[in-house]
Amino acid sequence: MDAYITAMLVFAGFYALMALGLNVIWGLGGMVNLGLVGFFGLGAYASALLTTKLLLPMPLGWAAGAIVAAAAGAGMALIVARLRGDYLAIVTLGFAEVIRLVASNEIWLTNGTDGISNIPGPWRGDLSPQGFNLLFLGLVWSAVAIFFVLLARLSHSPFGRVLRAIREDEDVAAVAGKPVLSFKVRAFAIGAAVLGAAGALYAHYNAYIAPEGFAPLLTIYIVLALTAGGVGSMRGAVLGALFLIALIEGTRFLAAIIPGVSPVQKAALREGAIALTLILLLRFRPQGLIPERTRTKAHA
Amino acid sequence: MADWRDLAQIALNGLFAGSMLMLPAIGFTCIFAVLRYPNFAVAGFATVGAFAGWLANAQFGLPAALALLAAFLAAGAIGLLAEELALKPLRPAGPLTVAIASVALTILLENMVRFAFGNDLRGYDLPILRDWRFDGIRVSPQQVENSLYAGAATASLFALLAFTRLGRAMRAVADNPTLADIKGVDPDRIARVTVFIGAGLAGFGGMLIGLDTSIDPLTGFRVVLSVFAAAVVGGLGSIPGAALGAMVVGVGEELAGVVLEPAYRTVTAFLAILLVLMFRPSGLLGARN
Amino acid sequence: MMSAGIFSQVRLLHRRRDALRCTIHEGDKIMSFTTTRRAALVGTASLFAIGGRAMAQAAPITFGALPPLTGAGGPYGPAMLRAIQGVVAEANEAGGVRGRPIRLVFEDDQTNPDAGVRGARKLIDVDRVQALMGTWASSVTTGVAPLCWENRVPLFTVSGADSITLLPHQGYIFRTQPNSRLQIATGADYLIRQGARRVFHLAAQSPFAQSSQDTLVEKFRAAGGQVAGYIVYERDKTAFRSEVDQLLRARPDTVFLNGYLPDVTILLRELFRAGFEGRRFTPAYAVNANTFATLPNEVTNGVITWQPSPDEASPAFTRLKTRFGATEVDPYSAQTHDHATLAILAAAQALAGGAVPDAQLGTAIRDNVRRISQGSGESVSSVAAGLAAINAGRAVNFDGASGPVSFDERGDIQGTKFRYEQADGGRFRLLELI
Repeated sequence: MDAYITAMLVFAGFYALMALGLNVIWGLGGMVNLGLVGFFGLGAYASALLTTKLLLPMPLGWAAGAIVAAAAGAGMALIVARLRGDYLAIVTLGFAEVIRLVASNEIWLTNGTDGISNIPGPWRGDLSPQGFNLLFLGLVWSAVAIFFVLLARLSHSPFGRVLRAIREDEDVAAVAGKPVLSFKVRAFAIGAAVLGAAGALYAHYNAYIAPEGFAPLLTIYIVLALTAGGVGSMRGAVLGALFLIALIEGTRFLAAIIPGVSPVQKAALREGAIALTLILLLRFRPQGLIPERTRTKAHA
Repeated sequence: MADWRDLAQIALNGLFAGSMLMLPAIGFTCIFAVLRYPNFAVAGFATVGAFAGWLANAQFGLPAALALLAAFLAAGAIGLLAEELALKPLRPAGPLTVAIASVALTILLENMVRFAFGNDLRGYDLPILRDWRFDGIRVSPQQVENSLYAGAATASLFALLAFTRLGRAMRAVADNPTLADIKGVDPDRIARVTVFIGAGLAGFGGMLIGLDTSIDPLTGFRVVLSVFAAAVVGGLGSIPGAALGAMVVGVGEELAGVVLEPAYRTVTAFLAILLVLMFRPSGLLGARN
Repeated sequence: MMSAGIFSQVRLLHRRRDALRCTIHEGDKIMSFTTTRRAALVGTASLFAIGGRAMAQAAPITFGALPPLTGAGGPYGPAMLRAIQGVVAEANEAGGVRGRPIRLVFEDDQTNPDAGVRGARKLIDVDRVQALMGTWASSVTTGVAPLCWENRVPLFTVSGADSITLLPHQGYIFRTQPNSRLQIATGADYLIRQGARRVFHLAAQSPFAQSSQDTLVEKFRAAGGQVAGYIVYERDKTAFRSEVDQLLRARPDTVFLNGYLPDVTILLRELFRAGFEGRRFTPAYAVNANTFATLPNEVTNGVITWQPSPDEASPAFTRLKTRFGATEVDPYSAQTHDHATLAILAAAQALAGGAVPDAQLGTAIRDNVRRISQGSGESVSSVAAGLAAINAGRAVNFDGASGPVSFDERGDIQGTKFRYEQADGGRFRLLELI
């Protein structure tokens, strides 16, 4: 049981990192990003390939994962930053699918649908499975802590304030002389970097990645996590991630005890319940567990 | 060696594929034009319509035309119900929140269908006809029939919008909701009618897709990106644009399948969206903002 | 430790009971399991067969199933799970493994290695399963395999990617699906024997699309023929008109539909519409009873399928067919039936030599799978017969519903035959079994 709980907390850590990244892009920057899993996947593949094919040390791989994702984020932002929120949603949704398609088809690069195995993990061979679990738990939550502090600082910094001003009213900010596009691109890149770092760590934890594992559903999960926690709040991102893993795994046990339904129906109930939770949250507690205190000032 | 016939075949395939994307795209655009948010649940409405039509046809023995009507009505009803219960209360929070809720809604609908019907593929109880050939160009009677149905539905919509009071009211709200309100048009009623029609068209389109292929809970979800591409390329908010956009995307995807690898078809949809939004955000036929 | 005396007491109790019919609802289908002895099936998530006081007191042995109940594998998962549940029920009726009931827990892998890994962790760490079975997608299997060998839990899978048995799994992987190279090579040989010389290869994106193509090219060239075309399509595709156009232009005598149920169903329809008269060849898992319900007979008639096979009159296969009702048994369910049987018989064999602490039972099962599935023991084809023989101290050789289930040292199936069937009027007709 403890191995399972440890592993689920590690996953919660990945989700927390992703929610933090989303919070920079959406919470602070006001740009919805439904292509999260694409940046996550980019980071995972970058790190996996560099460490398995070029045998680079892991920390370099992780850094590369963040950088590659950041570059993609900046590129995407340059193209789409001017778009209205819901247009942006449509475009970013497609981005993740394209990443998955490329990963599936460019076998020479990514090994295609066979995926990449034997991704190294820190001291994986020397520790027991639970030992490695615990080590990674420490590692990923240290990353969460570090990013949390950095991003909270960012949120309070002049950069963060300008971002929020842009989020509230882009035209006013532009009139005030702020180079709106530059800020948006930077915000997107920073958020994408965190997503990429999360992906890199994920690859090294699981030792295996495949295109099928980066499904659009994961993006919805992270949006759910941030909504539950409170869009705009860094603490909310972390809490929302914990809520998410509790929901995903809790529904597993709940579905098991429902009588009189077939296995397929149980599976459908579980997925449906998660979707329903998001709708209910948006309906009844849209500000999340930790709402942003005021609209122009966010506490981490 | 490609000759004009091969290109004509590709174009024809593309047009037929586009005519199947057309109705969900129009449904999406209707809702966007009047209610001003992207309703991603059209994928779910398409699946619901496909299954409702299947029930009508395979279980109750209705012919295709009546089953299509059943698809329209069922999807419209579900769409309206979902709107009233889930999406309408979120409107004050802004279009983005509603859009996100609609994504969750489509997942919910997919799983409701899975709960009721399981994962098995199902086919309609209709004969499968051989293709016609015209000088080496293949045309499927089913596709022709589908296009006719799609055309009829679209024409009915245009007629509704152009000639009826309801249609004029819908256009008024789409153009300028404040002015329409002043003139005594009830925005809530118009919203409800629009959602019903939009979702119903998506369901109608879903059944057309199913007639040509087969149906399972993932039917609507598979075409979702192409449907959005069609709406965006045509110009979000423009219904003729959505029809045109569907054709463009349909032909574009066929071309890409031949020029690039077939596995990259979906990329076309994404690229189309990206290119349009970069260089001509108002789409082909202009949009409202 | 159960003595023979208590065991025969339990059997005596059983004979006095009346028949009891239990039903399990599967969506809109109702399946009956007739139990001629008193066994109650509690819930569908965990199956306990309570066959008398003696067994109810013994600690259960837990096995885990990880089928795709949603996602791309959704058309296959439910039937795979049903096959496993059937075997477990039968084993519990027969007294379980040395008096210990077998408990089955399952999780949906969503055809996604991310969800699959979380499901496997739950099964391994929370439910403490002694064996894991029924994984379908190659990516899921590759993802959960390290968890299995690290926790010393044997993994039984139907996934076809060649790389799976090449992993450093220390013997913990048993794959009942012949690896794709063998499967395609055998299929190509059959086609060539039938006179095929120009084959068009339509493949769904998968880990073995390319290796299938390489094998096809090699075989056909050697026979003086050629692969007239090769298209890989995205699995979610629903429109294939351009692909069929290309196919027709290439004028093949045979089309090899290397895909899965959803896409092959649509392809068969398209080929019919296009008036394709040539040979259509596809894996048996891509066309099943459901296809006959979805497509009219005129579309499916003549399609040739192939799959790994037991001997012609395999009792295991026949019984599985009966249990599934009038529906044809798909190759995956035949394999998962064997997964469950192998795990149960291996556990029984392991415990026949004396008590094994639960923490080592997984390894003991691994060490006994080959012992009960190949070699010179008496041939058994059902879990009940196998348990009876093992309890009586006899050696067994289990021949399953999917084949003789003998494994080489890498965990791949060996010595399996293949059956070639043709769709005819909504049923499959056996053409050849070699």
